[in-house]
Amino acid sequence: MGLVARVLEASGIPTTTLSMIPDLTRVVGVPRLAGISYPFGRPLGRPHDADGQRAVLRAMLDLVPRASGPDTYVELPFVWPESPARARNASKDLPPPPIVDLIMKKPWLLASLYSGRIPEATRAA
Amino acid sequence: MSIDSYRFLDFASRQVMKAWAARERPGIIPFTPLTKPLADCTVALVSTAGIARNDDRPFDQEGERRNPWWGDPTFREIPLNTTERDVRLYHLHIDPRFGEADLDVVLPMRRLSELAQTGVVGRAAGRHYSVMGYILDAGVLVEQTAPAIASRMRADGVDAAALVPA
Repeated sequence: MGLVARVLEASGIPTTTLSMIPDLTRVVGVPRLAGISYPFGRPLGRPHDADGQRAVLRAMLDLVPRASGPDTYVELPFVWPESPARARNASKDLPPPPIVDLIMKKPWLLASLYSGRIPEATRAA
Repeated sequence: MSIDSYRFLDFASRQVMKAWAARERPGIIPFTPLTKPLADCTVALVSTAGIARNDDRPFDQEGERRNPWWGDPTFREIPLNTTERDVRLYHLHIDPRFGEADLDVVLPMRRLSELAQTGVVGRAAGRHYSVMGYILDAGVLVEQTAPAIASRMRADGVDAAALVPA
């Protein structure tokens, strides 16, 4: 995501990036970053909350003219109306992502995920 | 930073993302200043929710199930006025049901059109884009996918792009 923003920006298109994990997006290094404390899967807000979604989009777009240089970071003030446990609970009937399933079966592979070093045998697969 | 980036994550995902954040270095960050008022700009959106139209090629979920270290690094165009009735979300790390109930949750094209109607932005571009958010090996994404999106945006006269995570 941040990497795509960097390529667009370098090719002459000003970008603004929203992130629920601004810690991580910030170290990837994007020109304009808006951090938001919303759960995954719902970056703009709740389904059918048009006013809330519009406010988030507008806040991230406002950053485009406001930023005077790279690594401009703002934290959006929007507050998610549920606790994290409740937000996660809504999705607990889904199967885990394939990488989580794999690591539950082969926990020693967690070190590869931590380090970001993809096991060589799987690279070409 | 007052936002807790890890608030909505389970313990294991939190540890992995903290390890990644500790390792990354931003290097030189590109910057292109906006040269005209936002109210005159054509704006395009990019979502990482893995959205594909039902009449387009799905993102490769089976490939990721076979090799969980891999994520489909291609992109899909999403024409303006596409709605949740016309798409599916293929990202295997998020709950796709919210975006499939209301596409604006992940790709706010209707909200962008409203901001154009009220003069906040000039206009919504005719084409928007989606990629998959979970790509551990970013080679193809950076070398092929993102430049292809950039050249389409330039062809459409896009003045600014908004990137939405999933």
